[in-house]
Amino acid sequence: MLFNSLTFVVFFVVVVTAYWSIRSWNARKNLLVGASYIFYGAWNPPFAALLFSTTAMDFWLGRQIAKAEGRHSRRVWLVGSVCMNLSMLGFFKYGNFLLQNFQWLLARIGIIYQPPHLDILLPVGISFYTFHSLSYTLDIYRGVLKPTKSLRDFILAVSFFPQLVAGPIVRAGDFLPQLVRPSSLRAGQFLWGLLLMTLGLFEKIVLADTMLSGSADRIFSYAGPLVALDSWLGVMAFAGQIFFDFAGYSTCAIGAALCLGFHLKDNFRFPYAAIGFSDFWRRWHISLSTFLRDYLYIPLGGNQVRPVRAATNLVIVMFLGGLWHGAAWTFVVWGLLHGSYLVVERVVRALFENKDWANNLATGLFAGFATYAAVCIAWVFFRASDFTVAARMLHGMFGGHAHGDAIVTTREMLQIVLVTAGMILVHWTLRDSNIETAVMRLPRWIVTTAWALMACAIILTQGSSNAFIYFQF
Amino acid sequence: MPSSTSNFKRKLQLPRLFFRKPSQLERVHGGPPLEYERPIPEVPWRGITVVVVLIVIAATCAWEFYCRSIGYGPTLNDNEDLWTMARRGVKPESVVIIGDSRAWFDLDLDELQKGLSKRPVQLAMGGSCAYPVLADLANDENFHGTIICSIVPRLFVAPPGTPPMERTEKAVRRSHTQTPAQRVSQYLAMPLEEHVAFLKQEELTLDDLLKRLPIPNRPYALVSPRLPPYFGTLDRERRARMIEECARPGSELQRRIQQIWLPLFTPPPPPTYIPKEDFGNKMGAAIEARFHDIAAAVKKLRARGGKIVFVRFPHSGELKKLEDRETPRRGIWDRVIKETGAPGIYYEDYPELSGFNCPEWSHLSAGDSVEFSKRLVPHLRKALQM
Repeated sequence: MLFNSLTFVVFFVVVVTAYWSIRSWNARKNLLVGASYIFYGAWNPPFAALLFSTTAMDFWLGRQIAKAEGRHSRRVWLVGSVCMNLSMLGFFKYGNFLLQNFQWLLARIGIIYQPPHLDILLPVGISFYTFHSLSYTLDIYRGVLKPTKSLRDFILAVSFFPQLVAGPIVRAGDFLPQLVRPSSLRAGQFLWGLLLMTLGLFEKIVLADTMLSGSADRIFSYAGPLVALDSWLGVMAFAGQIFFDFAGYSTCAIGAALCLGFHLKDNFRFPYAAIGFSDFWRRWHISLSTFLRDYLYIPLGGNQVRPVRAATNLVIVMFLGGLWHGAAWTFVVWGLLHGSYLVVERVVRALFENKDWANNLATGLFAGFATYAAVCIAWVFFRASDFTVAARMLHGMFGGHAHGDAIVTTREMLQIVLVTAGMILVHWTLRDSNIETAVMRLPRWIVTTAWALMACAIILTQGSSNAFIYFQF
Repeated sequence: MPSSTSNFKRKLQLPRLFFRKPSQLERVHGGPPLEYERPIPEVPWRGITVVVVLIVIAATCAWEFYCRSIGYGPTLNDNEDLWTMARRGVKPESVVIIGDSRAWFDLDLDELQKGLSKRPVQLAMGGSCAYPVLADLANDENFHGTIICSIVPRLFVAPPGTPPMERTEKAVRRSHTQTPAQRVSQYLAMPLEEHVAFLKQEELTLDDLLKRLPIPNRPYALVSPRLPPYFGTLDRERRARMIEECARPGSELQRRIQQIWLPLFTPPPPPTYIPKEDFGNKMGAAIEARFHDIAAAVKKLRARGGKIVFVRFPHSGELKKLEDRETPRRGIWDRVIKETGAPGIYYEDYPELSGFNCPEWSHLSAGDSVEFSKRLVPHLRKALQM
């Protein structure tokens, strides 16, 4: 079920009330397991069985890794877990994509092959819960986590409903310790959780869906040539939309978890105030970038190898990061673009980091602006349905359609510009801080008014919004 | 491990705008907190929450009163979940109404039930093309009932990718993919929509209010067409009824809606990026394909013993002149009847059906819809050989 639905409102009220009414810690955890499976099954009940089987397999494999003696046998069990998780992801998410590409390759060498059409329904959130579960066996293998004795606790760690379908990717090692001791109900924590949920829904329903998504959709789906202004407005609208959509979900998840006494890490830290691409990835989808760094980039050698090898590793990691987002070559290009950005940044840093001018305010501002612009260019491939659309958009952005169409209305322009300017201002203001600090420092009446306005705006939109973008991943 | 208090104090540093290097902890772990405890701002939460709740309740009540004061009343939203609810009610031998808003407003289910001995299922949708629903019913192997299909030519042949097609396709898709959560949300939403006037998904949302701002545009900006304001109510069976204010002769609402229909029913200019001739050919091919698809769907339905009758509902005033000019009877209507071989009832052919006046030029008033349905029944029975 969606956070922005009446079903979730009723579900959440019932779960929270029951949760804090129960005294027994075990009963509370059982309740959360049941609630999480209802939450997941409310999309497609049979897929709850798939979620359970993955979880149970990883629980068992985790124990085998811990019990195994010798590096070789530990590795065999780990490979088993990785293969099981990735093959499931591969089948459901990449099955048709692989078949289509195989067919295309055969056609290039003159073999006509018509693959069977696999009518595969993608289980919602499979990319997220696969990583939740995989982090458990990986951390046991790395020796940073001991296997839990309780299957129920592990099931809850993987399926905890606030983060189950669209992240953040909460590692078992971060969640399982929170299941040891019962948390107590604290008014401040609970109400702060509610405020975060309001903020998350406001970001999603009002800013992403109401203010930006319509313009982004219209511009990206326009089949004609667009002038540079309209093309850039479309990309800026999407840049804002995807941030508010995904950060909104993460904020809701963090808030809902807090209401239940659990603490999830930040998934976004004001990414559009990033100076450079490594900074951007420390701020954007942090749970994925740290996952890829710890379980892929560092095992590949990280920074401890020769620069060319390190650069290759970066590109490999970002290639896979792109593919994780979706089974399409446009996502791969998006990942590769970010990989190449990171490599270029390393070179630039190596050449100029020690120069005086590299550390002054003007350079910082220019670098921040350049980072935002480059990230926007990469978003074109993320949003475009195919390369024709991406090429048309890029052509327009760089002035290739001087006599193209100007379709964006003044209202849409104002919405895009005002929301984007506000977003960037907030990101730069808070880039070295956090929202908790901001709330502490703001006068009480501003916090109260802002919370009330966000709640009123959510009611005014009547929940008539779309599913979260990251659900499809 | 540092205590949560000291950790919190550490995090409450002055925000600095530029060039703070990430700490070692942030570099390693992607950000605080490490000890699984988020900082909670120390503010008087209870007091703030009480004030927020009071403000939200007051603002919501004020908005509700305002909406009622300018003529809005509670009614269900016609969304794909409500449609799916009705679609689920289709039984193998049901009488099903499909098509556009004229079939929606002009047919009274009670009268049809009396005349046809079965309570029809209302699947018509405002501003929509009937074809996706017709195809869906034709492909439903269990269905061998009767279809009453309204034809508004421009909507009936709307090509793929246009709003009339997308609206219906979305509803049909939802009926096949509706999740339990969406179903529950619909059941929860209905009692609210039946009592709260401002819950109008296509009119009183923030997005719609923003769209109404009178801001001048660039000359070629692509402005979405204006849709008519609230002028009907809908019940759980999806029976639509025109509100009295709209039916009242000479009312302001009536005039406003009349002036909205005219641009809505006027064919839009071809896009600038396609040569006019190519666009014309493309549209022509799409319409031909639609005739072929409709004939195939009707054939499939009849092969299972199903029946269908096409109906052209009353419309009047300047809108009738526009429709007669742009989509004359000898064009789309005659062609559909010929291609499908199905019976058709064109209201103008029968004096007892053609004497009705549509207050806003496109639909009958709630009272007239009852009388019209009563008079239509014998024609339906004859056409369907009942």
